[in-house]
Amino acid sequence: MERKIRRKDGSLRSVSYAKWGYIFIVPFFLAYLIFTLVPQFLTVYNSFFENYQDGLNQVGPNYVGLDNYKTLFTPDSAGTVRIVKYVANTMIMWFAGAVPQFVIALLLAIFFTSYRLNIKGQGFFKTVIYMPNLIMAAAFSMLFFTLFSRVGPIQALLVKNGWIDASFDFFSHRITVRGMIATMNFLMWFGNTTIVLMAGIMGIDQALFESATLDGANAWQVFFRVTMPLLMPIFVYCLITAMIGGIQMFDVPQVLTKGNGAPDETTRTLVMYLNNYLTNKNYGMAGAISVIIFIVTGALGGVVYKMLVKQYKEPQRQHRRRKGDVL
Amino acid sequence: MRALSDNAKGKIKLTILRVIVYAILAFLVFLCLFFFYLMIINASRSNAQLATGFEILPKEHFIDNLVNAWNDASINIPRGMLNSLIIALATAVLTTYFSALTAYGIHAYDFKGKKFVFTFIMAIMMIPAQVSALGFVQMMNKFNMNNSYIPLILPGMAAPVVFFYMKQYMESVLPLDIVAAARVDGSGEFRTFNTIVLPLLKPAIAVQMIFSFVSSWNNYFIPALLLDKAEMKTVPIMIAQLRSADYSKFDMGKVYMFILLAILPVMLVYIILSKSIIKGVTAGSVKG
Amino acid sequence: MKKLLAILLAALMLLSVVGCAEKKDPTEANAPAKPQGKVFNIYAWNEEFKGFFEKYYTVPEGVTVNWIINPSDNGVYQQKLDEALKGQANAKDDDKIDMFLAEADYIGKYVDSAYTMDVTSFGFKNASTMYDYTIKAASDSKGVCKGVSFQCCPAAVIYRKSIAKDVLGTDDPAEVQAAMDSWEKFDALAAKAKEKGYYMTASFAETFRAFSNNCTKPWVDANNNLQFDPQITAWMDQTENYIKNGYTLTAGVWDTEKTNQMFKDGKTMCFFGPAWYYNFCMNNAMDAEKGCVGDWRIVKGPQAYFWGGTWLLAATGSDNTEMLKDIFETFTVNEDVCTKLVQNENQYPNNTKIVEKFAKDSSYGNTAILDGQNDIAVFAELAKDIKWENHTNYDQLLNEGLQNKLQEFYNGSVSKDVAMKNFYNYVKEVYANINVPQN
Repeated sequence: MERKIRRKDGSLRSVSYAKWGYIFIVPFFLAYLIFTLVPQFLTVYNSFFENYQDGLNQVGPNYVGLDNYKTLFTPDSAGTVRIVKYVANTMIMWFAGAVPQFVIALLLAIFFTSYRLNIKGQGFFKTVIYMPNLIMAAAFSMLFFTLFSRVGPIQALLVKNGWIDASFDFFSHRITVRGMIATMNFLMWFGNTTIVLMAGIMGIDQALFESATLDGANAWQVFFRVTMPLLMPIFVYCLITAMIGGIQMFDVPQVLTKGNGAPDETTRTLVMYLNNYLTNKNYGMAGAISVIIFIVTGALGGVVYKMLVKQYKEPQRQHRRRKGDVL
Repeated sequence: MRALSDNAKGKIKLTILRVIVYAILAFLVFLCLFFFYLMIINASRSNAQLATGFEILPKEHFIDNLVNAWNDASINIPRGMLNSLIIALATAVLTTYFSALTAYGIHAYDFKGKKFVFTFIMAIMMIPAQVSALGFVQMMNKFNMNNSYIPLILPGMAAPVVFFYMKQYMESVLPLDIVAAARVDGSGEFRTFNTIVLPLLKPAIAVQMIFSFVSSWNNYFIPALLLDKAEMKTVPIMIAQLRSADYSKFDMGKVYMFILLAILPVMLVYIILSKSIIKGVTAGSVKG
Repeated sequence: MKKLLAILLAALMLLSVVGCAEKKDPTEANAPAKPQGKVFNIYAWNEEFKGFFEKYYTVPEGVTVNWIINPSDNGVYQQKLDEALKGQANAKDDDKIDMFLAEADYIGKYVDSAYTMDVTSFGFKNASTMYDYTIKAASDSKGVCKGVSFQCCPAAVIYRKSIAKDVLGTDDPAEVQAAMDSWEKFDALAAKAKEKGYYMTASFAETFRAFSNNCTKPWVDANNNLQFDPQITAWMDQTENYIKNGYTLTAGVWDTEKTNQMFKDGKTMCFFGPAWYYNFCMNNAMDAEKGCVGDWRIVKGPQAYFWGGTWLLAATGSDNTEMLKDIFETFTVNEDVCTKLVQNENQYPNNTKIVEKFAKDSSYGNTAILDGQNDIAVFAELAKDIKWENHTNYDQLLNEGLQNKLQEFYNGSVSKDVAMKNFYNYVKEVYANINVPQN
């Protein structure tokens, strides 16, 4: 019914108003063209050139074909391909922060939307959990640094209680530095995810929960058979945006490790690597890394989208049909 | 009898569940607020006091630190706050307005290539800004715009993620009949958008405004590559510089005060707006 | 809306116009004498000189001084400065850099370029009272001088009297010096300090400059190959030994963990630094509550060296040449200012006449941090031996990178091989043209 009216409405519009559609989207595309698309092509173009500074002298640009990419993928003496290592670092640290981020966010979203639990003071909780997102990453990292430094209060406290040795250094162990970075990412983003997921759950028709409960489903079944499938599109949206954020991970490890990615470059991310070439004006290498980041992002996004959406489309449709039968 | 005990069991279960839930919430609240508390306490301590570890209660140096930080010559925090405010505010307005406009253009009109346009925006949503940073910085250097607000504000006009959110929101709350009615009344297309559609989008606009304000206020990567003049620097650049600041005047109390000042404006805006923001997100109830 | 579109279109057009503009040679901007500008722009990496400038230099009426300060870590200062210098030719007169500051580690890069100008071109003459090495450092390969240094930086060992007394049984400078006048003796003393529960130094890199500024070959050879001077490897060996034996801490030279050692309750005997070290690094020692002013003395230590120094360079294209000359004179030949730099700021100025006066003056003593010892006399002796040689334009980032990567070895997170591998990778990243050992 509704659809028909819309279509009729639409065909009417298409006669007289189509040009307005173009006009309204022109600013967006103009800005995109100037500030993103052209720079993007420039970036790709740069990746085929040798182009850097030796002191105040410009070297290049000389066309070198795929040499920059070859350099990127040449293993060092220990057999490590460094860019692969940085991709892995980025993914590991993102994952370590994202798992608790999504688990906690989902839990909280369910708590907050549950009539049975009827959480009091929701406004307060929701306000507070978003607050860490307001601290800028650079400031947050500085706080963590002073807290956990060799002369910081945490070290003093733990040593006093005899839990760690006085010579322990939080910044010289892979697991602690990565842990700090993951923790910061978790703290900064779980509130944001909670709010968006909550909005998604509230958008689900309450009658579905009720009928499922009447059918004798327990809380787990309701969650996995009703909530999750219907929440999937918004969940995928959250996951993808979180992943984009993860690939861009930069400020937190950069400031926390003073740009070193210590220890042994195990906290160095892709964008920190890119940033180093950018600030040192080695545009050829920076271009090549940008292209790699582009490819990695595209691949990851595509995989996640395909996997999750496909998997959940089936049960969702089935559920709708069954509900229709009951009615 | 049995039903009653079941009911009682259920009640006990619920109470236990509630206790657990509140415990989790309390822990998270502690984690979230701890850092703010720490900052406020530390901003009230002198450099020497700060070398002695944790402190539960504030000390007497708050005003000293505030005066020192505010008047610091190399890190001109008032100026930085003004720069950040201009950039973040302008970005937030441009981003939300043009995202809404674009979303409306696709939502309300039928035109050739509409589907392609939508798919295109969805595809570019994935691409991180850093990927084009190189070309962007090169371009801006070439046009002598590296110490200017323009390259930090105008790109906000094309924000695919915000566009996506607006589009979803319109799908759930914007009936096209209203638009048609406005047309019958003789309202022009721009007027319809500005005076009828925009007000309907208020909750979504509030949410995206604060999100984009915060992310612009906290943005470090691109501004750090572009800005170098003291009078153009934004707050995050100043904060990042603190770790390599001048050792001759290195004063941790002042450093904490800087950090506090850096996040204060966003905090205020957020706390004032938080109610309508949370309402906005939940009312919008983004449907996938 | 239409306005916005118009602006956007205008921006696009602007892009295409500017895109066609030709690049100008920076030397072209070196215009002959013309009316003096109203804005004086100075690039610097910290506040140190700015403080002296504001106190001791009177800015001509009607001139505004702009300080553009970027931190020097990770080469940020150089990157921003390079960018600005390259845009110098096309910048408006009031936006042009007039003067910029440079450190010993990279001054050569700017001196040997067309972006700095001959000081004689605006009538400045180097005085005989200036230390030779400061002139040599500011001169290009043809001997044309492009700037001056307002300080001379002979460096020494600054020790805690009370700890020396405990360890050696004496705090007398002559006896302390006798106990550490070679690296062997210094190492032996470190072991002794350790027995008494003290650290010899508070940072793994504390002695770095004492070695690195005595190198006999530069970081990079004629074919752009990275090379290690025996002094650098000697420092690495010493530090490895110190860390292993607990003679020093794993903190970096600038870390809070190190500077906290300067509080009264600190356990560290020796710090390495020149005159600027007092104000710049020893803030904690001068802290009103927890400091220990007067518990310090200086001696030459195992090896004479110098550390740092801030040069003022004249930027090509400056429209404030009279002011440049004036500033250069104020901070080098003006005896009144140089005297005040010693008396009020504990600096060691670049003026032999003034420092000799203080060195001989038995009534002079440093009480700001030392116990009234005449530190100028110690520095004056050391300053005679400073030579300017074996420097490259790459020194800052190479020194910084080596310390950063080795710190991970010293604090136990990686092996020495891995640390060196990471250093080579780092070098390749920041200087694509330097060849590193097969890696």
